[in-house]
Amino acid sequence: MSNQRQASSASQVPHLSPAELSYLYTSLSLPKNPIRPDGRSPTQFRPLSAETNILPGTNGSARIGFADGTQAIVGVKASVEKTILAADTLDSRSLAQHGDALNREGEEGSAAVSGQGEWVQMSIEIPGYRDDDALPVFLGEMMRESLVGSVAGGSEEVKEMAGGLKGRLVINKRWHWRLYIDVLLLSQPLAYPLPLLSLTTHLALLSTKLPKLKSTGEEDPFFDDDWAVAEYLYPRSNKQSSPSDAPTYPVRPPVTLLVIAVGENVIFDPNREEIAVADAVLAISITRSSDSENMKLLSIRSIDPPSRLTQPGIPNSENVNMLGGPPASSNQSGGQEEVGGVWRPRRGGVQRSVITRMIKTVLQKGGVGEEVIQGLEGVKVE
Amino acid sequence: MPLDTSTTYPLTKLRLDGRRWNELRLLQAQISTNPASSGSSYLSMGNTSIMCSVHGPAEGRRGDGGSAGSGHAVVEVDVNVAGFAGVERKRRAGGSDRQSTRIATTLRSTFQSHLHTYLYPHSTISIHISVLSADGSLLAAAINACTLALVDAGIPMPGLLCGCTAGMSGSASTPRDPRHDELDPLLDLSLPEEQELPSLTVATTTVVPVGENNMDEDEETMKVSVLSMESKVHATYLETMLAVGIDGCSQIRELLADVIKGSRR
Repeated sequence: MSNQRQASSASQVPHLSPAELSYLYTSLSLPKNPIRPDGRSPTQFRPLSAETNILPGTNGSARIGFADGTQAIVGVKASVEKTILAADTLDSRSLAQHGDALNREGEEGSAAVSGQGEWVQMSIEIPGYRDDDALPVFLGEMMRESLVGSVAGGSEEVKEMAGGLKGRLVINKRWHWRLYIDVLLLSQPLAYPLPLLSLTTHLALLSTKLPKLKSTGEEDPFFDDDWAVAEYLYPRSNKQSSPSDAPTYPVRPPVTLLVIAVGENVIFDPNREEIAVADAVLAISITRSSDSENMKLLSIRSIDPPSRLTQPGIPNSENVNMLGGPPASSNQSGGQEEVGGVWRPRRGGVQRSVITRMIKTVLQKGGVGEEVIQGLEGVKVE
Repeated sequence: MPLDTSTTYPLTKLRLDGRRWNELRLLQAQISTNPASSGSSYLSMGNTSIMCSVHGPAEGRRGDGGSAGSGHAVVEVDVNVAGFAGVERKRRAGGSDRQSTRIATTLRSTFQSHLHTYLYPHSTISIHISVLSADGSLLAAAINACTLALVDAGIPMPGLLCGCTAGMSGSASTPRDPRHDELDPLLDLSLPEEQELPSLTVATTTVVPVGENNMDEDEETMKVSVLSMESKVHATYLETMLAVGIDGCSQIRELLADVIKGSRR
C-alpha cells in the first residue's frame, strides 16, 4: 500500500507486462474504431446505479455505484457563518459608501455582494489513503475549482444564482453559508475515481436544500424551521407541465469527465487498464450554460498519465537472450525508436488536433457532454 | 421546554423518540451491497446507518512482520466516521479521531476471537466500516453490520454476534431500592440518550452445542462476548441493564437472521 501512496496524481499502475500493455495500446489505437477490453464504444460509459437523498442528517446526499462495485457516497452539509469583511470596508470613507450602497439596495436587492471560493470545502475519503495524501487532495481541488468557478450567464430566471455557486451562498453582507462537501469512496479505486466522484457530487448538490430565509436584508439570518419549505441550493424552474416530469434546472453543477487519448483515438470513461496505456489523460469540466442549450467548457486539467511509469519492453533485436550475444546494431540500443509490438512508456505530449477533437466530442450538440447531463437528468432528485 | 429523558420519562413513560423502555429502533439491513468486496452489508438502526465491507481472507501484506508466521488469520478493522455523520459537520485533521479508533480496537479484538481464524493461517481479513450517520449505539450497530458482512463473505463463525445498548432512565448514581423502583432500564439508546444517561454495550453469541446438550435445540444458550461501558452507574443497576441488553441482543439476532435468510436466492 505504501507504493500506492507514492503514486501521486495518477492512479495505481496495474500489473501488466510490457507485452500486455503493447497489445492493449495497439487495440485501443486502431484507427477509427478502437477495441476496448470491455467491448464498449469509445464514448460509452460504464453502467451505473444512482440514488439521491439517502442520508437524513445531511442537506443533500447521493450514492452512485458502478457495476464493477466501486461506490461513492457524497454528503453535503451547510452551516451559517459570519462573513469577515475586507479591511477596506472598515475605513470610514468606504463605510459611507457602504451606507449609500445599503440605501440603494432597498430597490436593487443585494446583488452587489460577491461570494468567496473558500466557502465551499471539499474533502475526499479514499480507503487506504489519508485525507491529506496527494490523490484525495488533488481530486478534491480539481472538483472544487470547477464548482466555484462556474458562473451562470445572467439570465432573468436564475437571479439567485448570479455569481454562480459562490453568489448563492451569500445571505447578506455579514452572513453567508459555508458548504462542506464530503466525498466517501467505499471501495479501493479500481480506476481513476474522478468521474465517479464528480457525478456523485453533482447529484448530491442537486438534492441539497437550504432552509428558507425568513429575515430580510441585513438582519441577522433567521430561518423557517419547516424543512418542507426549504429551498434547493440549485433552484429548479417551475415550468413543469406535469408533476411526473423531471424538474428542470436553469443552472446545474459542473460535471468533470475523464478523457484519454490513445494514438489518434479519444476514449471516454477509461478503466484502470486503459489509463495505463494512455498518451494523455485530461479531466474536462463542463456544465450546461443557462441561456442556451449548449454545453459550456469550464476547465481542462491534464493528469499525469501512469503509462509514464511502466516498464518498457525489449525488442528481439536488442534482447541478449534471443541472439545469444549482443547484436551488431547495439549502438542504437538507447531504445529511442518505436518498434511495432514492443511497449515503450509514453513520454506524454499530445497533438493539438487530438485535444481539439476531445473538446469537440464533449461539447458538440448531441455529444458526450449532453448525453451525460441527460443521463443525470434521468435520475429523479427528490 | 425540557427535552431530556431524565425529566420527561418519569411523567410519560415514553422516551424522546416516543419509544417505550423495551423497544428497539427500526432496524433495516441488507447484505451483498458492494460487489467489489468479499462481503458487504448496510445496516441502519434508527438514524444510525453503517456500511461495512469485508475483504479476504486474503494473503497478508508482506512486511507486516507479526502476522506472517502465525497460524491464524489476522483481523484488521478500519472505522471511518464520515464528516457528515453527526449533527454538526466534524473536521478531523488528517485521519481518525478517538471514537473511531476505540470502536476499531474493540471490533478487532471481538472478531479476532469470535471468528474461526485457525481455518485461514497466514491470511488477513480486513473489515472496513463507514459510519454514514451517527445517532447513538455506534459500537452495537458496527458489530451487527460486521456480522452481516462476515456472513456474506462466508467466513465461518460459531454463531451470529449481535450487539445492543442498554441504559437507565436516570443518572442511577445511588444504590437501587428494590421496593421503590423509580428508574426503568432502556433498550437501544439514541444519541441524546447516550449523552446524558449511563449506558453499556453488550454483544452476545450463541454457544455451539457440544456434548450432552447437543440435541437441545429449543433452549438457546447465549454467551456474552462483548461488554463495554463508558459511563458511571451504581453497581446495583448493572444486572438490570445487562438483562435488558441481552434480551435486546436476542431480538436483534432474529432480525439479522431474517435478513440473511431473506437475501438467499
